[in-house]
Amino acid sequence: MLRRLLVLSAPFALVLAIEALFAAGAWEPLAEPNSHAGTSIRLKRALRDPAVGRIDYVTLGSSRPEYGIDHALLAAEAARRGRTHADLTMPGTHWTSVGVLARWLEREHPEVRGGIVALSVQDLAFAYNGYYELGILQPFRRADDLPWIAARIPFAIHDVASYGVVSALFAWRDDVRAFAAAPAQRRESIAWRDAHADAHHVLFDNPESHGDMCAWGVDSLAACDRLEATSGDGEAALRRQCRELRTRASEAPDFSTGASMATPPEFMSGTRDLVREQLSDMHWPAPPVVILMPMPRIWNEVLGRGQHEWAVAILKPLADAGRIRLVDATDFFDGDADGGCGAFFDFYHSNAQGRERFSRWLLPQLAVMLYQGDAGTPASAHEDPPKP
Amino acid sequence: MLFNSIHFIVFFLVILASNQALRRWPTAQKLMLLAASYYFYGQWQWHYLLLVWFSTLVDYAIALRLPRTPRPRRLVVLSVLVNLGFLAVFKYANWLIATWNGGVDVIASPAWHITPIDLLLPVGISFYTFQSLSYTIDVYRGVLPPRRNLLDYALAVAFFPQIEAGPIVRAREFLAELDGDQRVDFADVKYALVLIAFGYAKKLVFADNLALVADPVFDHPAGLSFAQTLLGVYAFAFQIYCDFSGYTDIAIGCALLLGIRFPKNFDYPYAAQSIQEFWRRWHMTLSRWLRDYLYIPLGGNRHGDARTYANLMLTMLLGGLWHGAAWTFVVWGGLHGAYLALERAALARVGWWNARNPFATALRVLVTFHLVCLAWIFFRARDVAGAQAVLANLAQPALHAGDLGGVALLLGAMFALQQVGARTHYKERIAASDGPLFAGALAVAMVAMAWFAPTRTAPFIYFQF
Repeated sequence: MLRRLLVLSAPFALVLAIEALFAAGAWEPLAEPNSHAGTSIRLKRALRDPAVGRIDYVTLGSSRPEYGIDHALLAAEAARRGRTHADLTMPGTHWTSVGVLARWLEREHPEVRGGIVALSVQDLAFAYNGYYELGILQPFRRADDLPWIAARIPFAIHDVASYGVVSALFAWRDDVRAFAAAPAQRRESIAWRDAHADAHHVLFDNPESHGDMCAWGVDSLAACDRLEATSGDGEAALRRQCRELRTRASEAPDFSTGASMATPPEFMSGTRDLVREQLSDMHWPAPPVVILMPMPRIWNEVLGRGQHEWAVAILKPLADAGRIRLVDATDFFDGDADGGCGAFFDFYHSNAQGRERFSRWLLPQLAVMLYQGDAGTPASAHEDPPKP
Repeated sequence: MLFNSIHFIVFFLVILASNQALRRWPTAQKLMLLAASYYFYGQWQWHYLLLVWFSTLVDYAIALRLPRTPRPRRLVVLSVLVNLGFLAVFKYANWLIATWNGGVDVIASPAWHITPIDLLLPVGISFYTFQSLSYTIDVYRGVLPPRRNLLDYALAVAFFPQIEAGPIVRAREFLAELDGDQRVDFADVKYALVLIAFGYAKKLVFADNLALVADPVFDHPAGLSFAQTLLGVYAFAFQIYCDFSGYTDIAIGCALLLGIRFPKNFDYPYAAQSIQEFWRRWHMTLSRWLRDYLYIPLGGNRHGDARTYANLMLTMLLGGLWHGAAWTFVVWGGLHGAYLALERAALARVGWWNARNPFATALRVLVTFHLVCLAWIFFRARDVAGAQAVLANLAQPALHAGDLGGVALLLGAMFALQQVGARTHYKERIAASDGPLFAGALAVAMVAMAWFAPTRTAPFIYFQF
């Protein structure tokens, strides 16, 4: 009887063993370097590079801070103080992946003294960013992160995309499928990644960005009308963003009404509670500096009514209590004579010029909020200095 | 309820546990299985359960009466009329009306139009009416005594693993299973698990992904190249095999775990060396049914060549129509009828064609496969014009080196699986192994499903029949 049970359970045991191997990172060497997970793996490898050594400060966040903050400047400033400041921003990062990465840092780099969590108003609408966020956090998660992740990213029995919440085999599903579809291409991209695995570049440099949006404007959806009248390949990515923006605009919830209710709708109150809990639980010696990154004015037509106010309402009590330092730079470029077009290379991301202007403005604040530890009172923590 | 749903997996596990718990009380066990079968069927549209019940009661009553009536032929005709009447109303009425309306548009006035009937095709009607018909005909022929126990017969008609898409288990086979030893031994459990795991893998890993290649070719054939079209046709050939045989494997495996042995329904059809052999390997329970209840009663091959060819053609045309009410299915059946007749008339006498050497064997397999593919074009196309558009693309052969890779890879891989399967009977071998082969094969199937099942899986193709 025991033997029969063993025979029948052996296939399931084997699947569990493969699951354990994948959870332990066995697939990571073969993962697509240009995917969300691949970016996380590159970052993880850089953070484990013995040459990097101690990490004192970090910047966590999405592609907006990846392009919008001068990481080389922050690294130089930290170095001037005898510290290191690493850029851990990744495209697609949202609250859940920020949280998993912060938990990983607590385990692997307990010396981290503080950092920046840079997202945007848009990111405070929901606690997670779609199931693809599972790819970003997978290389950093551990088995005991499951309850924390499951509280933020819902598991749905009828949605295979959600199975990655509980299973590494499913979390790597899309990557394995892409590998099976084009193994030779994967081999080439892995070879390229391995040849360019410079930890210093990954952690302390800025990504390249080119061009601006002055041919189209970034101040209203009329820019999309103009773009959608074109058919050139050069504008294809912008037209895709326009479709996203229009979809977001048509589906944006009314945050004003929700916020005025005695009990806000579940998606709002749930996000609020999870974000507050997450930021309160960050165990860095210095409170995290939460930056709401600059957004072009076109987003005023895309965001839901009262969404900006709701985002600030979520964070302000934490700032008032001294649990975080808050920098709300959402409308940083709104006063520009050109409508901000000279500071962005698409509808989401700052270009080098925008990055430099914003970082020059930000750096003196960081000197107070971050590098000098507890500098300033909770009340003054939410006062923005005048813009240049 | 779909086999490829979480709902079914939970349902089946509950039924399996209940079946095991009730094994000392056969009547309670059968009642539970019948209730489960009606629940399973009713999940789709409960009011069509009335049809199943009506068909069951009519055939049950007719069969009981048959041995005692002086005119049994009248009763069996009544059974045929009732069962085929349901099929005619629910499956063919609107097609006949559309054909009539098309005809009167040409030769008369639209005033003669008939309004189509607003009816949804009951799932599995083609399958359970054939199963039910086999019962009254077998009782009429005296090869099966009428069953007095209504519960047994009702279960034979409605048993959930088969009611929606077969295999078409004749009542006498099913009742013999109910009367026999339904113990499930360890070898049965392993074989059932292999069938179920591989059945799901065929559906989720192969069929649903091949559909992504085949669907665009048949839905929008205009402007596609020869290679793209060819790839789509091959993809559909393997999609429908993996889809339907996958369903059948799951059905046979589930039934086996409940102690009921179903007949085989597929035997690596693309390893066939002739169309006749193809039909001995493809949807074997339908082929048997058509042979025993249509072809042989029509006279089979007992009345000379011309009559044999006519019988073959008629059998296959009706077999085509059994699949669906559309001219594409008529053409599909007609093509197979023509193939069978031509094979019998001409190829059987060609010496080099029938030579027993590897080259001739490979040639026969390839030609048979491509004839089957040609017929699949009509089977899959939305309408005859759609099939013609696909054929028009194939009429301009131009293969570029870059195109060859995909076509060759798909054809080679799926073909190799068929050939290897036909020679090695790997499922039986895996089930017979207690060691790493069993564990490894099932684990690979499960992991492959986790990775390669599309996010949204489609219903089984044969549900629509």
